[in-house]
Amino acid sequence: MDPEAKVSSSRRRDLPPIPQGQRRTPRALPSMPSQDTAEEMPAPKSRKKKAKRDAESVDEPDDGGMEMGGLASRRQSECPEPLTPEPLDNPPQRRKKKKKAQAIDAEGDQTDLVSNGDTLDQNTDEEVTRKPKKRKVKPKVTETQSNNELDVEDDDVITDPQSPIPQHSLFSAPQGPSQPVGKVFVEKSRRFQAADRVEQWKPSGPIEQSIMDIRSMWTTRDVSMRVHSGFRVIGLFSHGFLAGYAVWNIIVVYVLAGDQMSSLSNLLQQFHTLAYPAQSLLYLLLALSTVSAFDRVNLAKAPAAMRSLLRLSPVALASVFYFSALVLSLSQQMTSDRINLYKYSSYNTTLWPPGSESSILYPWITVNLVVSLLVGLAWILMSTSPDIDNTEAFLMSMEMEYPNSEEKGNVTA
Amino acid sequence: MLQTNNYSLVLLIQLALLTFDLFVNSFSELLRSAPVIQLVLFIIQDIGILFNVIIILLMMFNTYVFQVGLVSLLLERFRAMLILSALYLTLSICFHCWVMNLRWMESNRFVWTDGLQVLFVFQRIAAVLYYYFYKRTTEYLGDPRLYEDSPWLRDAFARARQ
Repeated sequence: MDPEAKVSSSRRRDLPPIPQGQRRTPRALPSMPSQDTAEEMPAPKSRKKKAKRDAESVDEPDDGGMEMGGLASRRQSECPEPLTPEPLDNPPQRRKKKKKAQAIDAEGDQTDLVSNGDTLDQNTDEEVTRKPKKRKVKPKVTETQSNNELDVEDDDVITDPQSPIPQHSLFSAPQGPSQPVGKVFVEKSRRFQAADRVEQWKPSGPIEQSIMDIRSMWTTRDVSMRVHSGFRVIGLFSHGFLAGYAVWNIIVVYVLAGDQMSSLSNLLQQFHTLAYPAQSLLYLLLALSTVSAFDRVNLAKAPAAMRSLLRLSPVALASVFYFSALVLSLSQQMTSDRINLYKYSSYNTTLWPPGSESSILYPWITVNLVVSLLVGLAWILMSTSPDIDNTEAFLMSMEMEYPNSEEKGNVTA
Repeated sequence: MLQTNNYSLVLLIQLALLTFDLFVNSFSELLRSAPVIQLVLFIIQDIGILFNVIIILLMMFNTYVFQVGLVSLLLERFRAMLILSALYLTLSICFHCWVMNLRWMESNRFVWTDGLQVLFVFQRIAAVLYYYFYKRTTEYLGDPRLYEDSPWLRDAFARARQ
């Protein structure tokens, strides 16, 4: 027994290089068996004993060292003897191996923490036992490969295309949108245990679920689209109201002016209180209608708007009509104020010299007639194509264009 | 990330200022019984235009595009609105000063001249264009993609760095 003890003790001294190799990296573990094989080649007889001892160590969960398991696995491959549980003859060896393995595991755990960025609150015994179980697999794999330390191991090769977790290096900024870790650590009985991430948060009640659904439905884009559609309703109303009001206005002017403009003084006396409010209302409706028409044709996209105008698109023509009517109406602001001030007797001689009524009012009536015709035509054109809304289509697509090239630039979420 | 509630509130403020501006442009000529009424309306209108410009600039600064440094991209995208806002503010201040100067002593006096008429026409036309581009810009700034990372933004950033 003593010589065997001496031999085993001497061979125990061979074991320390194994932990040193492992201390470099966790992956250095597989190199241990190669080193052991190089050392153990000249003593085949002793392997069998070690194989028996190590086979027992493989079976026991408290081995405390992957390297020991690796040894055992390698020796199993070399010595095709089935693993049989050995009697508990060498507890001191296992304890020493366990201590060494635990020391190595602690270092390996640290590297794992550093590489993964996760922190474990406690190294439980289960986790310690898990790791050696995991590490036992590696030497078996490496045995099939060459003895070169730089060989890629099977664990490094990700064949699963659905790997959910992109691993970022520790010292580089994340290059993509942040993604959740595949596992979450749930605190249970003062311990954190890894659990699969639940993809959807399950609300506790129906009210919360409805609130969550509502919140998930509304985005800022929805708000802007809602505002745009609301303004489109206002624009539709202003188109029709403007057309009707312009027709009413010109009819009143022509009725009050009399047959062939024979009673312009009657027009001034009856209409001077309405002239300026009518002018103000006309500007309000024209502004709303013009903005609505510009929205329909998407004027900001000038090339597209010009193309639609050249193609005689109804909304493009309507926008031109509305803009022209706006300019013409504004040009009559001075005359409208003059008509408004007709009621003041002191201004009649200066503002309204005798015989000047026709020369002042004829252009005013003519321009108002043209404005009425333009807004009426524009309203008809808008009515024939109520569904065309290029700005809404643009807002839905939300294209972002490069300053230089406009072809690219679809903003992808 | 732009929150929906914040965006809705900002949009409401902007639309309220636009509505007030349109109201003043349309009916300020009817509210000239006393010159101080028009003066107050014009002052509030000009301040409202300035606030609108500030708010739209703050919304641009809040975008992720601006925060990564692609200022030129935003300026290129919204240059029409910015130019029109500045032009409209200038024209409004000039017209208001001129009209108040002419009507301060007597508000119901006929003050129109050809130059005033031309300035009035340009100011009102710029107002309509300002309403259109401002509304469009506020709706456009509601795009969530302006406030988050995207492959397009990375590509634009790489191009800008080159």
